[in-house]
Amino acid sequence: MHTLQTPPATPSINDLLQMYRALWRIRVFEGQVQRLAAAGEVPGFPHLSTGQEAVAVGVCAHLSPQDTLFTSHRGHGHVLAKGADIEATFAEILGRETGVCRGRGGSMHLVDAAHGVLGATGVVGGNLPLAAGAAWAAQARGEKHISVVFFGDGATGAGVFHETVNLAVLWKLPVLFVCENNGYAEFTSREEHSNVKHVSAFAAPYDLTAQTIDGNDVLAVYAAAGAAIAQLRRGDGPYLLECMTYRMAGHFVGDAQHYRSKEELAAVREKDPIERLKRHLLAQGVAQSELDSLGEQAKEEVQAAVERARVAPHPDPRTVGEYVYSAPSLAHVP
Amino acid sequence: MTSCVPRADWCTGRGTSVARVALEIPKVGLVMEQARLVRWLKNPGDFVAQGEPVLELETEKSVVEIEATVSGRLVEQLVKVDEEAKVGDRVAWLETDAASSAATHPTAATSRESEASAHAAAPAAGSAEASASGTSAGGAVPRASHPTGALGSVASAGASHVSSPSVTSHASSPSPTSPARDVSRSAGPPGASASANGHGDGRVRSSPVARRLAAQSGIDIGTVVGTGPRGRVQLEDVRRAIQARSLQTGANGAASAPQPLSSMRRALARAMTLSNATVPQFAVERSVDWTAVQAARARFASDSRAGSPKLSVNDFLLQAIARALLSYPALNATFRGDPESPDAAIVPAVGAHIGLVVAVDNGLLVPVLHDVERLGLAELARRRSEVVERALQGRLKQAELEGATFSLSNLGARGPDRFNALINPPQSAILAVGRQREGVVVLNGGIHVRPLSTLSVTVDHRVADGRLAAEFLAYLVEILEGDDWRV
Amino acid sequence: MSQTFIEILRRALDEELARDASVHLLGEDVAAGGAFGVTRGLAQKHGEQRVRNTPISEAAITGVATGAALCGLRPVLEIMFIDFATLALDCLVNQSAKYRYMSGGQLAVPMVVRTQAGAAGGAAAQHSQSLEAWFIHVPGLVVVAPSSPVEAYGLLKSAIRLGDPVLFIEHKRLYTMREDMPENPELPPIGKARIAREGKDVTLIAYSAMVNIALEAADELARAGISAEVLDLRTLLPLDMRTIAASVAKTHRVVIAHEAVQNGGVGAEIAARIGSELFDELDAPVTRVACPFVPIPFAPELERALLPGRDDIVRAARGLVHGQGH
Repeated sequence: MHTLQTPPATPSINDLLQMYRALWRIRVFEGQVQRLAAAGEVPGFPHLSTGQEAVAVGVCAHLSPQDTLFTSHRGHGHVLAKGADIEATFAEILGRETGVCRGRGGSMHLVDAAHGVLGATGVVGGNLPLAAGAAWAAQARGEKHISVVFFGDGATGAGVFHETVNLAVLWKLPVLFVCENNGYAEFTSREEHSNVKHVSAFAAPYDLTAQTIDGNDVLAVYAAAGAAIAQLRRGDGPYLLECMTYRMAGHFVGDAQHYRSKEELAAVREKDPIERLKRHLLAQGVAQSELDSLGEQAKEEVQAAVERARVAPHPDPRTVGEYVYSAPSLAHVP
Repeated sequence: MTSCVPRADWCTGRGTSVARVALEIPKVGLVMEQARLVRWLKNPGDFVAQGEPVLELETEKSVVEIEATVSGRLVEQLVKVDEEAKVGDRVAWLETDAASSAATHPTAATSRESEASAHAAAPAAGSAEASASGTSAGGAVPRASHPTGALGSVASAGASHVSSPSVTSHASSPSPTSPARDVSRSAGPPGASASANGHGDGRVRSSPVARRLAAQSGIDIGTVVGTGPRGRVQLEDVRRAIQARSLQTGANGAASAPQPLSSMRRALARAMTLSNATVPQFAVERSVDWTAVQAARARFASDSRAGSPKLSVNDFLLQAIARALLSYPALNATFRGDPESPDAAIVPAVGAHIGLVVAVDNGLLVPVLHDVERLGLAELARRRSEVVERALQGRLKQAELEGATFSLSNLGARGPDRFNALINPPQSAILAVGRQREGVVVLNGGIHVRPLSTLSVTVDHRVADGRLAAEFLAYLVEILEGDDWRV
Repeated sequence: MSQTFIEILRRALDEELARDASVHLLGEDVAAGGAFGVTRGLAQKHGEQRVRNTPISEAAITGVATGAALCGLRPVLEIMFIDFATLALDCLVNQSAKYRYMSGGQLAVPMVVRTQAGAAGGAAAQHSQSLEAWFIHVPGLVVVAPSSPVEAYGLLKSAIRLGDPVLFIEHKRLYTMREDMPENPELPPIGKARIAREGKDVTLIAYSAMVNIALEAADELARAGISAEVLDLRTLLPLDMRTIAASVAKTHRVVIAHEAVQNGGVGAEIAARIGSELFDELDAPVTRVACPFVPIPFAPELERALLPGRDDIVRAARGLVHGQGH
């Protein structure tokens, strides 16, 4: 993945082409998860981020492997954009021995420490304070790394969001709160969840810097995240980026989505972040064939990784008791 | 398990032919000559399927189950529990299922009447049997012969009553050990009804540790007066009963009377007398530092996946001994014959076959692990624990007691600091492992506290001399203190 | 000169802060010394970056400590009362305990959550509970409950140096207990129980403040000719069944005493394991002495009436030895 320490305000065409490919990578990956979940090959219930790719790609373009990333149950895109290995990530979602967590975590608990992916969580809002803690560790050691946490707008209903924001501002922690406001908290639309329309409105009383942006425009995300992260690296405290986006998929694979109309779903296609970047690049004079080729490359890259993951070995049931404690003497197996 | 030798006598009764088969004691292993009957697993009237164990014999080395090679009904037991029996002795009569001949025989109708009356005596046997016998005696008889279940057995006894007059007495007047009664008896310990603390249900209230001590001391827990809550027999009660027994028997002289030897005790006495009288033996000692073995054990414990066997210190010792034996082949041998005789020889062994001394109730057994040099620690641990388990149950095969040149005796954490062991002939050496304790060692001028034991190896002087024994032991310690283990 | 539990804990924290730069303290009021003064003076000595006050946000600060631990700090978090650990349960149970496992061993949470528990002095129903049993149900956690100042010193240091999330439970009644600090105090390993007093007739299993009550009971039993062995568990998770087994094999009788309610308590787990693993050693049923199933009351006489004490243990032990109980 393309990383920049001090990003230019506007990315080069080459940067944008890399991002175009990264968007496709996530889109195809999620498509494969959906396909195999429908075929019964994926244990549990994966949550897809289809349609929200621009947030992941636009933010992570500014991160180095030492920067830490936390995400929610809908985190495949963030993990990939941060640079995690596609095959090992997919193998984890399939519960294989070669998965990033050796099949112990799965879709909702992806961790790839080598790439700074410190984890996804299945509890809404649960990772917010952990991201603040990672930022504290960097601050305490005088490191310039930052911590990013992605969460949905639903998490702002949890007290821990407010507790964490309050503490992060007090401690001036280098943590970037990225809210993906996709209009839905699980099965219920934002209007039914909260009287506060925009998550960024929570920022003012805590004296938190915040901005609401179009999360389906990767250029907008890239620019806003670049500015926010520059503030973090200067040591000026946390930042809340509210990215308005739209969940093109259901809450989980198999969700019948009775709560959305056909017209609404059709309008969504118009907002598709990939289509929008494509229009921009064509206007900039990039050939259609080059874009098609980038999309194809991403598709082939992901599909090849998925096929390798599908034939990867399953974990050995005899190893089920490993990794509970630091020492086997503490393991509590009668 | 060992199969019985069938000896058939064909009897003819009222035109129905039936086979009476004698069970004889087979030769178990190479050395067995006689054995003691431990218990009957089947009672007269029971159906015995081919391959089912019929009785348990205690030989010098272990308890073996004797199984039937033919299916049939046990009609008579010829040897009582605790009686001695020799190889080839007849111990029981079995009657084989002669249903097919009965079915084709014209007088089968007479059989059906008798059968029906037998069922009347055992109503719970059910109308299914009666109706079956009503349609075809040929089908009824084998179907009635359920190999398990008391009622099925009673019904079978009825069937046998028809077939052969020679066994009528067994079948129609059930002995006190008839299976139906056994079911009710098995609910409580023997003598429960007349016990000091018996209950209506025949159960004796007793604590687990009290039961264990009573069993170990040969005390019938039903005779012990319980002083615990609701008359529960507790540890103190059993201790009192043991004391009372020794006082009582001391007073009337019974306890001081000579006790006959058990087969195992006799075999041990023979082997140890032979060892002490004919094998000139000496011992050499050396201290071993267990630090490396402990580290290796911890490492394997953390590496090992759930389900793999736990390594014991003995597994490391066995592997180390095997390697040392192969490096000192002069010790890996047995002495044969009288030194005066021209035939006397030292017979080298191929491979490392090591006996492991296992303490069992009233004696000890030395199961042999064969070809130890080929085994990794995990496999060794698996075999070791399996063979020890069977030794404790008295279920070793003869081959597992033979072929060693060397034995390992480890009395464990409660053992003495050091001890010498007697060689188990025809082996030529034995390693005695003292208990592990912390001791001070000086290493590179510094004082260190380390887990130590004293190893003592007793060697047959006819086979090897002091220098060889010392070098062998030094090498053994070197292996144990090193870090070269085959997993 | 003898020191109090609080002073000795402070010394342990001070030494660990000095020994290892990754050790950081955080919690409500800790920079100001903490509600009980355990951390008094440490912020001045080691800096407010390393001894950090937090808002009253148990959920967030437990998460912050966990996140920092994932990144290599060794945070020591103070949750003022174990009653408030309820507010931190999501993080402790769903995150801290499981991170090593869920990540397939990539990450660890070397964190200590110091908290204070138990009834004393009319703290009433929301500041007096003994909730340790909730935590021994969670794979990945370690639960430690020291019984004296010197024990706490060594166990806290061992806990800080361990690579796992540890709930370190300090009984508020112990805070004023005094002991002489030995010259070179040993650091007891986590997961190992201690024989606090040897005996042969009955084993009294206890932890935290109840160990001292069990020792008093053992004195009383000795006067009645009963030799009681007192076992201080130190670590509740994992349980040291080896030491328990050795003691039960010697005495064949067991009384488990704790201040927490009996229902679903730590004693229930111990009793079940003794029943299944040591059945043949038992000469009497395993007996528990614990709090009745009632919240901790406010009025001192009610509080006294409720809490299990020396005489309850003595009665239970005598019942087992003389065959009067059960």
